[in-house]
Formats: sequence, structure tokens, C-alpha cells
Amino acid sequence: MDVSNKLAVDRSDAINVGKSIYSLVIVLVLWEIVTQLGMVHYYFLPPLSDIIVRFYEMTLDGTLVHHGYLTVRRALVGLVIACVFGILVGVLSARNRVASWFWDPIIEVGYPVPVIALVPVFLFWFGTGDLAKIILVAIGCFWPVAINVRNATRDVDENLIWSARMMGTSDRQLLRKVIVPASAPGIISGIQIALPISLIITFVFEMVAGGGGLGHIEIQGVRSFDSVQVYATLIAIMILGFILDRALRLIRFRILSWT
Amino acid sequence: MVEGHVTISNLEKVYESGDERTKAIDDLSLEVPSGEFLSVVGPSGCGKSTLLYLVAGFLEESTGTIAVDEQPIEGPGTDRGVVFQDYALFPWRTVMGNVTYGLEQDGVPKEQRRATAQEFIDMMDLDGFEDKYPKELSGGMKQRVALARTLAYDPKILLMDEPFGALDQPLRELLQDHLLEIWRDVEKTVMFITHDVEEAVYLSERVMIMTRHPGTKKTTIEIDVDRTQDREDIIMSDAYTETKNQVWQSLREETQPEAQL
Repeated sequence: MDVSNKLAVDRSDAINVGKSIYSLVIVLVLWEIVTQLGMVHYYFLPPLSDIIVRFYEMTLDGTLVHHGYLTVRRALVGLVIACVFGILVGVLSARNRVASWFWDPIIEVGYPVPVIALVPVFLFWFGTGDLAKIILVAIGCFWPVAINVRNATRDVDENLIWSARMMGTSDRQLLRKVIVPASAPGIISGIQIALPISLIITFVFEMVAGGGGLGHIEIQGVRSFDSVQVYATLIAIMILGFILDRALRLIRFRILSWT
Repeated sequence: MVEGHVTISNLEKVYESGDERTKAIDDLSLEVPSGEFLSVVGPSGCGKSTLLYLVAGFLEESTGTIAVDEQPIEGPGTDRGVVFQDYALFPWRTVMGNVTYGLEQDGVPKEQRRATAQEFIDMMDLDGFEDKYPKELSGGMKQRVALARTLAYDPKILLMDEPFGALDQPLRELLQDHLLEIWRDVEKTVMFITHDVEEAVYLSERVMIMTRHPGTKKTTIEIDVDRTQDREDIIMSDAYTETKNQVWQSLREETQPEAQL
């Protein structure tokens, strides 16, 4: 019964993707027609076919692979650091009064701050290298992780905690045996929200400070009036974002099969 | 040997939030002898769930004492097992994982705890569902898992908070009979919270009626029904009907206070 259900879900998923792709195809075809007819200046919007050819060339000669690697590495290392601290602070401030007193106001104030505004400050402090980028990504991703983890761990159903206590679970065990598994959906949601933020921060920082990466070669394209390179890079970052998001969803599905 | 004897003396529970003090339970004393099936009925908001959670050790009494076998309780303990109305199963654990939890905490070896859990899973007619997660089960099945989970670690006292309140009538009757069967087998003390007079009289040896807020013991009524009979015969018997009316009348005085004036 379960297997057939799963198949049914998969099939309807495929249909949904197929349906949603039509609109995308129409837009892309219109793009090609409009640009081939010369209705838009080449510099503003080159034909899609030119961009695809360039994307292919830049992939073959390793440019996109190398810079894509730089971008993803910065984003993911920063994200992992943010998760470690965010989960720690989130759990602590939900379960401990002193930690809550200390962190709650900081989280409330820090969460809505656009971290991008710190890029110039970070240029002062840490220069233009990997370290500056990774630290800023970590800071930017810390807030959504921390706030989601805090809310999830704070809202664990009291009856679950009571159930565990009556069956002889000590305060120390409670965290590992009940609170963390019960709040796992919220924790993973926090990470899912933080993922695109990590890419945005990395990308912007690379555009401003250079040092390689997709953001860097995109802005290079603008500076050398090579709009085809700009769009080819854009496609690369879209594909990377899509793959990373899907990978995270897969992990979520695996871990949270009970939800 | 006396086991699972509950003694509640001059219990008082006051909730404080800011300057507001709300008395939930007022000077309640009660003895529940070992092995007794006691139901607690009362108007809604009278503090019957609070009473249960105090006995469970989840809440702390303001004054008075609760003792199990003459030992004052200190927080939750494995001598008391609660069955919640909303089941409170661990959703990330399978049926087997839920039922083995208490034994796991107790340090029982893996093979043995699986065997013990299987016994209670079978008893609850849940065999074949061992590897299902709670979300895959119906309400009645979840409540049977919750009951199996609590029975598996063998507490002396069962504390049940309207466990069948969310189920429909036929299912409720089925689980009631199931519970009675088990209670006869395992010899546990049961405190059963319900708002359903018929359920209370059908199940228990004694019913405690609570006053309206702030709740305290109004009276207790012994139920003298021959339980070797089938459900139909019990329901039709004069003893059952009379006691039911008596309990209903007593409860009615609390829910309709103006009727007395």
C-alpha cells in the first residue's frame, strides 16, 4: 500500500514539474525571438543561444567549474559554521534562563539586519580574502538558524517531555532523546532558509571584493562590456542554487521520514 | 505487601502568574488503596487534570503532600505511568520504538525489551504495526500504543487523563473493555479522569466527584456492580443505573449551582 502511494506521489510530482516548465519554455522562446529580431540591444539582452554556447565553453575550459567551486566552498563552510553556533545558541536560549536572557535580545535585533551592509566594514577588518567572506556568511546565516532552532526547541510539546520524564529520562538525556529529535523539523527549516542567504552573501562579497568566484567573474563581464559572460555566470549560479536546495530537501526527506 | 497505594493529604495547588493567584485545587484529601480502579469526575475546569498531573509529579503542590506507599513523591517516577488524552507518543519513533522506550531507559537488554514490548503490542492487537510511525496510525491505535508504552515499563499506578475522550463511541467501548481486562490481569492502581459519568461508573470500583472550581473532593461513591457480567447486562442492571443516577445527580449540583437556590 505504501509503495504504490509513494509511486503515485512521485508521478504527480513529475507532472507538476512538467506543467510548470511550460511557462518557462514560453518565456525562453520569446527571449530568443525578440533578441534574434534585434528588438533589444545586444548588450542589454543577448540571444539565449549565444549565452548557452558561452556557458558551454566556460564549463569546458574549467572557468565556471573553478569559480563555482570557490563560491560554493565559501558559502558552505560559512553555512556549516553558522549551523554549529546557531544550533548551540538556539537550543541554549530555549532551555536555559541565563542564555535566554543574554541571547534573546541579540537575536531579535540581529535577525532583521541586512548583513550585506557589513561588507565594507569587513573589507576594513579582514581584507578581501576567503576569511572575510566565510565569516560574513557565517554571521548572516547564524540568525535564521538560531531563531528557528530556538523557536522549535522552545515549542516542544510539554506532554512529550513529561512522557519521557515519567519513563525515567534524566534532565541530561532529555536534550538528546527528546528535545533534539522533536525539534529536528524546525532545525532543518532554519538551515534551508539559511542556504540561499549563504549564496547571496558570498556572491555579493565576490562582486565587491573580487578574489575569484562566480560573483567576481560576473562583475568582470560587466566591466568589460561582455554581457554574454554576465548571463552565462548567472545561469551557473542558478544551477548551483537549485542543486544545493534540492540536496537539502533530499536530506530533510531522509531524516524526517517520520513527519 | 501493599503496592501502589496513593495517599493525598490536604493538597492545595495555586497557580501564580504575576500578581494573580488562581487556586486550582483546595484542601483535597484522598486515599486510593492498592489495586483500586478510581474514576474522577467533575465539572470542566475543576482541576481534575491538575490533580492527575500533581500525582504524576509533573506539577508541584503548593501545600499538602502526595505519597505513594507512604513515600512522598519527588517529581515524576517510573512507579507512576500517565496515559495522555492526546497520546503524547514520540512521533520520530516507531510503534516498537515507543513501546520499548521505558525499558531502554531502565537498561533492559535489547532482545529482552523487544520481547517484552512485543507482548504488550500483541495484547493491544497492534501486531503487524511494529514498524509504523505514529502519524500512520488512527486515533484509537495511537491510544493503544500509548497504553502499551505505559504498561510495558510496569508502573504500579496508572494515571489516565480522559484517554478515550477523543474517540468515537464504539471504539471507546472497545478500549474500555480492553482496559478492564488488562486491569484485572496486571493488578495496578488506576486513577482515571473523565467527564463522562457512564464511563466512570462502568469502569471503576469507586468514583470521586469533585466540586466546581476551585476543585476539591465532594464525595466518593462506591460502585457495587457484578463485573463478571457482559457489558449489556451491566448497563441494564439496576445497580449500575442507580449508581449512575446518583453520580449524575451529585455532579449536576456542581454544574448547575443555581438550581439549588
